[in-house]
Amino acid sequence: MAGTLTDTSSAPSLTNRPDKPVSWPSRLLWLLVTGIALAAYFSAKLDISALADFPAQAWKYLLLMFAPPNWGKLGEAFTAMVLSVQMAWIGTLLGIAVSFPLSFFAAAPLAPRWISWPLRGVFAVLRAVPEVVTAILILSVTGLTPFTGALALAVGSIGNLGKWGYETFEAVDRGPLEAVRSTGSGAVGLMRWGIWPSASAELLSLWLYRFEINVRASAILGLIGAGGIGKMLSDNVQFRNWDAVGMLLLVVIVVTMIIDQLSGAVRHRLIHGRWAVPFSTARRRPRSSKLPVEVPA
Amino acid sequence: MTAIGALGAVTANVRPVKPRQRGKVVATLLVLAAITVWAGLGVQIDLPEIVANFSNAVGNVVQLTQPDYGFFPKTIPALVETVDMAVIATVIGSAISLPIAFFASRATNPNTWLLMGLRFVMNLIRSIPDILLAAILVAVVGVGALPGIMALVIFNIGIIVKLVSEALDGEDTGPHEAALAAGASWLKAGRSAMLPQILPAYASQVLYTFEINIRASTVIGLVGAGGLGILIDNVRSFFRYHELSLIILEILLLVVLLESFSAWLRKRLI
Repeated sequence: MAGTLTDTSSAPSLTNRPDKPVSWPSRLLWLLVTGIALAAYFSAKLDISALADFPAQAWKYLLLMFAPPNWGKLGEAFTAMVLSVQMAWIGTLLGIAVSFPLSFFAAAPLAPRWISWPLRGVFAVLRAVPEVVTAILILSVTGLTPFTGALALAVGSIGNLGKWGYETFEAVDRGPLEAVRSTGSGAVGLMRWGIWPSASAELLSLWLYRFEINVRASAILGLIGAGGIGKMLSDNVQFRNWDAVGMLLLVVIVVTMIIDQLSGAVRHRLIHGRWAVPFSTARRRPRSSKLPVEVPA
Repeated sequence: MTAIGALGAVTANVRPVKPRQRGKVVATLLVLAAITVWAGLGVQIDLPEIVANFSNAVGNVVQLTQPDYGFFPKTIPALVETVDMAVIATVIGSAISLPIAFFASRATNPNTWLLMGLRFVMNLIRSIPDILLAAILVAVVGVGALPGIMALVIFNIGIIVKLVSEALDGEDTGPHEAALAAGASWLKAGRSAMLPQILPAYASQVLYTFEINIRASTVIGLVGAGGLGILIDNVRSFFRYHELSLIILEILLLVVLLESFSAWLRKRLI
């Protein structure tokens, strides 16, 4: 190894610190990362000159959008955003309805491998396809309606919630599970009394978290014509109605933040057993299997 | 089963009474059902329409199951551009976020106003979906990979700053205080006392962000911001389902491969 120390024969002194050992694997890794980044930069052939007047341009467009936004569009924008939220809600519910039973079959302590492993593969594939692509696929069957958007969100949610579901079930303490099994209970009893009581709080909070994700995603789905705020936004960007775009963005931001805070408060209640004041806590991304599940006092 | 009474006396076979919550549960379920009906009406769930459409759709679905592999060479530039966008955005985004994260954590920033202000801006950034941001940036800087990268960078800053500053919040501030007491500047104290503690969390967040970027960069082109999305938009408007299905297959492989690589790397880091 190349970890060179300073001359050890000399008398130790305060200024004579040993050199930091050199870690070749980490140096190689950095070299590799730098190489990949440079390769990406040069192969993308970016026109950096466009960035020179970007600050001025950005300022100009910000003024166009927000000074002042088109308040006349507020009602219309709000109605469109409500439709997006409705899409997200229906999508989440459908996702839960399909993924919840399936995730029992994908959990290791409950199902044999020949069921659980293929199911996990299906979840992984569903997670890999972006919602917009799913929507494009589905709209060839259902046509361009808000329901298409909801279905696309549902498909994405199945992959995501399925994974969170079986991870939550597997993280459950095995004690109650064995206790229920020892009473001679069947599969349904095992799920109801062995798993559900310890998994429910975390699972409910993950469902809510997915709803937050879907609210964001539903705004995107509008861009391909599935209705809602995204459709209105892309139309207005195309016709360069910047003051209307500003209004729409404001509505998206405000409604998303309100829903995040509400849902975050309910999730906090579910996990910690007490209410927290919105806007006051720094929330953490729920990491499945790491959330402490406390019984409400 | 024994239960300990309020005064500490142990009484046999007396279980505490389960608090009654039936009313609350029913009320909650009613509210949820009401929201669902309201949302269902808004979304216009129309099953007969779907059944009617389905016969037309069978042809499309059949086409989708037969990818046109001959189209592959034409997708390579877009595929490369997609990966390029994700890589560049991750590098730039994570580089910008690290110093900002230090200003967004209570452990390293004693100024409450700056802290709240930064956190608010980060919340704001995160609530704008990346594709919407890209759609606007395309109008500002023109079509191409550049607006896509910028949109991803802005979004990345929102995520990484949040997650890393929360990691900082949770770390031990003892070394930091010691460094400050020894006369270190805020910059040096953060660099030598806090940075080493959060480095694994930071690296893992960067990889997580890379996964998000790969996913986003495949579709961000739908609004004209470069990558496979532009191709999707083209073949979709001409109803070339064989080619669409190949592109989707590519996205699937790309996302699954890069995500599992990144997940493997993250596991090794922690």
